[in-house]
Amino acid sequence: MTGSPTVNAADIGARPHPPLPGGNAVVFEKVSMTFPDGTEALSDVDLAIGHGEFVSIVGPSGCGKSTLLRIASGLSSHSSGDVWVDRQQLGYTFQDATLLPWRRVQGNVELLMELRGYPAAKRREIAKEKIELVGLSGFEAHFPRRLSGGMRMRASLARSLALNPNVFMFDEPFGALDEITRERLNDEVIDLHCREGFTGIFVTHSIPEAVYMSSKVVVMSRRPGRIIDTLDIGFPFPRQPDLRYEPEFSKLCGAVSRALRHAIEA
Amino acid sequence: MSDPIVAAYKSTPLKAQVERYSPVPLAPAPSVGRRLVLSFAPPLILGILIVAAYALIRADLPAHRQFLMPSAEGLWSQAFGIAAFRSELLMRALTTISIAITGLAVSIPVGIMLGIVMFRVYALEKAVFPYLVALQSIPIMAIIPLIQSALGFGFLPKVLIVALFTFFAIPTTLLLGLKSVDRNILELFKLQNASWWVMLRKAALPSAAPTLFAGLRISGSLAVIAAIVSELFFLSGKGGLGQLLMNAKIDFKYEQMYAALIVASALSITVYLSFNWLGNRLFAHWHESSDRQR
Ligand SMILES: Nc1ncnc2c1ncn2[C@@H]1O[C@H](COP(=O)(O)OP(=O)(O)OP(=O)(O)O)[C@@H](O)[C@H]1O
Ligand SMILES: [Mg+2]
Repeated sequence: MTGSPTVNAADIGARPHPPLPGGNAVVFEKVSMTFPDGTEALSDVDLAIGHGEFVSIVGPSGCGKSTLLRIASGLSSHSSGDVWVDRQQLGYTFQDATLLPWRRVQGNVELLMELRGYPAAKRREIAKEKIELVGLSGFEAHFPRRLSGGMRMRASLARSLALNPNVFMFDEPFGALDEITRERLNDEVIDLHCREGFTGIFVTHSIPEAVYMSSKVVVMSRRPGRIIDTLDIGFPFPRQPDLRYEPEFSKLCGAVSRALRHAIEA
Repeated sequence: MSDPIVAAYKSTPLKAQVERYSPVPLAPAPSVGRRLVLSFAPPLILGILIVAAYALIRADLPAHRQFLMPSAEGLWSQAFGIAAFRSELLMRALTTISIAITGLAVSIPVGIMLGIVMFRVYALEKAVFPYLVALQSIPIMAIIPLIQSALGFGFLPKVLIVALFTFFAIPTTLLLGLKSVDRNILELFKLQNASWWVMLRKAALPSAAPTLFAGLRISGSLAVIAAIVSELFFLSGKGGLGQLLMNAKIDFKYEQMYAALIVASALSITVYLSFNWLGNRLFAHWHESSDRQR
């Protein structure tokens, strides 16, 4: 992790994590999930995500992408199969920013550190750094209701980044934003990924967004979700905004789109 | 700006079309004077209309029934104009308000605790809620004689009556607020392995606070009424405005009765407005509904 104020693992009661199979950050083996009401959301999902990868997950609506992330993060349990996730420092952003409306930006960014028991001075120092990182300096004293949607999302990112996550999950974080803001935040997340080195899992409905951001795009089938295709994206990081207009980029988008169409018909 | 493609695009007549669909500029914010007029004029006008209607109805009454609706001069010469009565009114108002506030000081903490316990233990919510509704639907007036027989005529039974009157709104609004805390916020806490207490303190209670305050406003204005009602049955001792109401009726001093009513409603409004003010101070900066923009 680059130049962030460090917090001793022992200070905050974190346990060392046993190494995962194959040195991966996330491993799913034959994971199935059936909800108590009988809805079969996932069936036999096999997925391995290496440390430092940035993987996007695309799939038809209702195919179990959120369910997959919730299982990976530990928010939900699964019915069968094995899940290994390095959850020591987990970042998670929801579809909306999920800020506490009664806290200012500063207080919101400090929240997770507060829950982890960081000392106050350390919290302030880290919050200042992360607020700067996402470009919200000067808005520390604003309440969420006075921020734009994009700014709220940034505050939410800063809040997760404050824990220096080594695995960062995003559940359709930018779906509600306009395209310009969305593309800017894409760049910011990729930039953060390159600088902070976290492993990213990014659920999205947008094919260009998936291709632009990821080292790997995973395509899921209709419910019950299975992984039916995995495409490696070879463009080097960090990525340039104009990459979106390269013919090679369009070709990859086309490939993902075809895989998705196949997923919907399959 | 210097991008040639953008420049070329801008120089086409399309610009005019784009402008047609550009957002309409916002109306400027109303001035302070205008806002004051907007907030004070409507209640003032309605008040004047009510006084006028009162005067018209009074003028229509036969002379021997006019005592039911005292005139302004009557109110002054028989009630507010008399120094001794004014100080009596003040003392009694203080008694009433202290009964009301002590009652609230009982019902608010107990109600908040009950709300939290019902939130924590679902079975308890299911068990207690019907009885809360039952308590609310008992005409408390009807059990006042019972309370009197059990607890006598002192301060305590009156406080109990106020507490009973004002209790219902507190656990119910708090529970409603606690239950409607954003699920995602709770999951955020869960991801950090936060304990239930931490979730309650840092997520559920702050998010329920505005709803609870809506309940407190209701309870606050009920408290004064309850304090007055509690006294209608307690005619001995040094009582408050309720006792004055009863005594005035017995003595046919209708002007004094109206004076007591006016002071009582002024007290109620004051309590309501103080809770309102406090709620706005606490929540206006983050809660959507607490400051209404025009
Ligand atoms: N708690 C639940 N109980 C029962 N069924 C559920 C529950 N949560 C989700 N489901 C079902 O599981 C399936 C997968 O849901 P999930 O939210 O994971 O989809 P998704 O891929 O994230 O969809 P979207 O792209 O629209 O967000 C859906 O059919 C949904 O109805
Ligand atoms: Mg989803």
